[in-house]
Amino acid sequence: MPQQVVRLGIAFAVLAIVFMAARQALVPDTFGETGHYRAAAVDSIAAYPLQYAGHDACAVCHRPIAEKKSDSNHSGVSCEVCHGPAADHAAAPGSVKPPAPRERGFCPMCHGYNASRPSGFPQIDPVAHNPTVPCMTCHDPHAPEPPVIPGACRACHGQIASQKGVSHHATLPCLTCHEAPDEHKATPRLIRPGKPDTRDFCGGCHAEAAVSPSHIPRIDMSTHGDGYLCWQCHYPHHPGTE
Amino acid sequence: MQGYIYPNEFELRWSLLIVLYPYLTGLVAGAFILASLARVFNVKEVEPTYRLALLTALAFLIVAPLPLLAHLGHPERSYEIFLTPNRKSAMAMFGFVYAWYLMVVLLLEIWFDYRRDFVLRAREATGPLKWIYYALTLGSTDLSDRALGFDDKAGRWITIIGIPSAFLLHGYVGFIFGSVKANPWWSSVLMPVVFLFSAIVSGIALVLIIYIVATLFRGKQVDMACADKLATFLFYAMVVDFSLEMLDFIHRLYESEESIEILSQLIEGRLFVSLIVLQMVLGTLVPLISLGVVSPALSWRGTRKVPAEVRRLIYLGCALLVQVGIFSIRWNVVIGGQLFSKSLRGLTVYKAELLGVEGLLMAGAFVILPFIILWLLVKIMPPWAENEIPTSPEA
Repeated sequence: MPQQVVRLGIAFAVLAIVFMAARQALVPDTFGETGHYRAAAVDSIAAYPLQYAGHDACAVCHRPIAEKKSDSNHSGVSCEVCHGPAADHAAAPGSVKPPAPRERGFCPMCHGYNASRPSGFPQIDPVAHNPTVPCMTCHDPHAPEPPVIPGACRACHGQIASQKGVSHHATLPCLTCHEAPDEHKATPRLIRPGKPDTRDFCGGCHAEAAVSPSHIPRIDMSTHGDGYLCWQCHYPHHPGTE
Repeated sequence: MQGYIYPNEFELRWSLLIVLYPYLTGLVAGAFILASLARVFNVKEVEPTYRLALLTALAFLIVAPLPLLAHLGHPERSYEIFLTPNRKSAMAMFGFVYAWYLMVVLLLEIWFDYRRDFVLRAREATGPLKWIYYALTLGSTDLSDRALGFDDKAGRWITIIGIPSAFLLHGYVGFIFGSVKANPWWSSVLMPVVFLFSAIVSGIALVLIIYIVATLFRGKQVDMACADKLATFLFYAMVVDFSLEMLDFIHRLYESEESIEILSQLIEGRLFVSLIVLQMVLGTLVPLISLGVVSPALSWRGTRKVPAEVRRLIYLGCALLVQVGIFSIRWNVVIGGQLFSKSLRGLTVYKAELLGVEGLLMAGAFVILPFIILWLLVKIMPPWAENEIPTSPEA
């Protein structure tokens, strides 16, 4: 056998032995038992001290609030989502008090408008929506409801109503734009509501010559839009519509 | 920022260092393919660059994973991908592709090629250098005709194994991007092939640059037969690469459905300079036309009209432009693929930082480092023909 092969063989054998020894010494015993990780890591993590007390622990002392919340839109939101980990408070309720966030920046972490959130999810623009007023002034966080009493349309079209509620058209009743005969409520799929079928309808507020408040955006109806109906490009319920 | 992007798309996850990584591995694969031209395909003219190409591939291969380690953080944990191999992860398996290419292909080929030199230098050198050269021989000091013949044969076989390995090394990088199905800018089965041919282009151009510059610094004459041949192969590789890129580009635009609008915005806006100006015009068309006119690729007559000195300068300029073009390709793939939102409704921006682990300075250091390593390798293992040591009689 050529000398080179023997020498290379020795070099590779040394490398292989070092590799095997490193594997033996460095790979944890429980690695790979239940997946591509150290199985004992689960026990190590379980051994960490608990930070969260859990919803049931809160309900023992705060029953009226827990009951109120359980019937509300926040029923799926655990107490500690807003009040922080409360294991220490549960252990010593008198001496450790969990925080109660009241600043305006807190609620928009979930309810600030973001294009990637589901369109039916209640969202506001924190800059434009009652600036400087703390959210709790109008909304009870344990039973949050929109301050406006829902109209008849909302009963079925909740998602659109939520979306419209934070759009530029929030103050317009649905019937301003849609014709909805009474029969629509009884047989909604048979008798359909109408929607604007002329450009002039939107032009009633948005045309340059329209008699409407000055903050409403204006366009030149004769050149803008190339003959399309307005809502074919501008979805009027959408908060992001310009 | 323009239009709608999701919150997690605001900041690009794969930064400048991830642009650098496929660029460096491409240079490795390309330089090795060039070396194989001399060794396996017996292209005699490029023999002066054979050893230089191997050392270049080694120097760049040593640096290639460093941008990844800097990007990921915790480089001290990197050995774990070898100890606990995850066969389901293409990224984790790169460790083995890298180890195979470094240990079994490149180091072995260089060792067989240089073993005779190591033995002779160990005999001539004094002091610590003697022991360094002796260690490099691994104790194999047999210089008989039979042993040298075996070295030659083994080197040839390793090169033959090395060609698919080089394809695997860089094809893998394209594979990673090409298999991201959710991204219409990346998802393409042509991606590994396009990466591979652009790697060959960049590798040949790099060796051409190093050969011309190093020869001038050494005060020697550039072997124009070699430079002409390198330029010819660079031209051929560029023709294939350009055709594949265009095919990939057209296919990508044709295949894309709802993404066509955002991709058009991407090309016309964010990537206009790096894709149209740098990659296509300066990095591809200008060198392609220049090499077509000046090099003997299309006709031997071309070389007669242009003096050697001018031709050399044009080759050097073209090779440098090719480097700009290939780096732009990597940029356009890695950064371009992250500039548009998965909502297909918005574009974000990328601004590289100057300092920091993923900054411009760090990237610059990773570009310079292989040249420093190459300089050291050339000092220990001169690749030039005039440094060849005649076998002494006592051998």
